[in-house]
Amino acid sequence: MAEEKVRTSSRASSRGGTEKRKKKNQIPIAMIIFAVIAGIGVWLGFKEETLLLYWLLGLAFGFTLQRSRFCFTASMRDPYLTKSTSITRAVLIAFAITSIAFTAIKYGYFINGLAIPGQSYIAPISIATAIGACMFGIGMVIAGGCASGTLMRIGEGFWMQVISLFFFIVGSLWGAHDFGWWKRTFMLKAPKIFLPDYLGWLGGLVVNLLIIAVIYVIAHKWEKKHSDGLSH
Amino acid sequence: MAKEVELDCMGEACPIPLIKTEKALEELEVGDTLIVLVDHSCAMKNVPEWARKQGHEVELEEVDDGEWEVYIEKMK
Repeated sequence: MAEEKVRTSSRASSRGGTEKRKKKNQIPIAMIIFAVIAGIGVWLGFKEETLLLYWLLGLAFGFTLQRSRFCFTASMRDPYLTKSTSITRAVLIAFAITSIAFTAIKYGYFINGLAIPGQSYIAPISIATAIGACMFGIGMVIAGGCASGTLMRIGEGFWMQVISLFFFIVGSLWGAHDFGWWKRTFMLKAPKIFLPDYLGWLGGLVVNLLIIAVIYVIAHKWEKKHSDGLSH
Repeated sequence: MAKEVELDCMGEACPIPLIKTEKALEELEVGDTLIVLVDHSCAMKNVPEWARKQGHEVELEEVDDGEWEVYIEKMK
C-alpha cells in the first residue's frame, strides 16, 4: 500500500515545509489477513475444490480491480466529465478479450456435442434493459461506484460507500420483488438473440468485435478532439 | 506572490473532488498552487490525470495510508 507515484518537478524543493505524517506499519495486519485468507482457502479446499477456485478467482479479481483502479463508473462518466476515454477503452478491450474467450469456451462445448454452458444468461433484449441501464447509470455516478467498485472501496475503507452498498441491496431486493411484472410485461415479448444462432460462431464473434472496435475508435477520436481543443 | 490554496475533499466520492478542483482552479491566478486533499482512490487517479491534460504542473503524494495530496500548479 505504500506505493507512491510522485512526479518530481522543478518545484518539488520549494515545498520542503510539508512535514510528513508517519505512516502506520501495515505489515503485521497484512500478515494476519494473509493467514486468514490462506486459512479460509484451506478450509474451502477440503470442503469442495471448486469453492477454493471461486475463492482464489474472487480474490484475484478484487486485487486486480483495486490495483489497476479499474472503474466501470468512470468508464461511462469520464467521457462526459473530463473527456477522457482511457478507462472506457480499457473496458472495451476487456469486453473484446472476454468475447473471444467465452466464444472459445462455448464453441468447445458445442463441437463436442455437449450442452453449451451459460446459455441461461442470454436474456431477452427489451425496453426493460434500456430502462434498467439508464437507472443504473444515473445511480452509479451519484453513488460513486458500480457494484464491484462499491465493494472494492468498502474494502479500501471508504465508509461512505457502505451507504451505497446498503441501498444497492435495497434496490436489488425491490428489483427482485417486481421482476415478475417486468418479465410478463416486457421481457417475454422481446426477442432473445444469441448471435451464433443467426451469424454462425465466427460471424457472431466478428460482428461482436467489430462493434467493440467501432466504439473504441469513436472513444479515441472523442478524447483526441477534446484535447486538441484545449490548447487555445 | 503566488499563493497556495487548500481544498479539502476528504470523504467525498468521485467525481465530486474533480468538479471541486475544476471550480477552485478557475478562481486561482496563473502560478498559484492548489492542494487537493482526497481519500477516494478514484479521485487520486482522475484529479491528477485531468489536471495534467489541462496542462498544469501536477504532483501526487500519499500523505497517509489511503490519503493523498494533489499539488496542482496553475500554468495557464
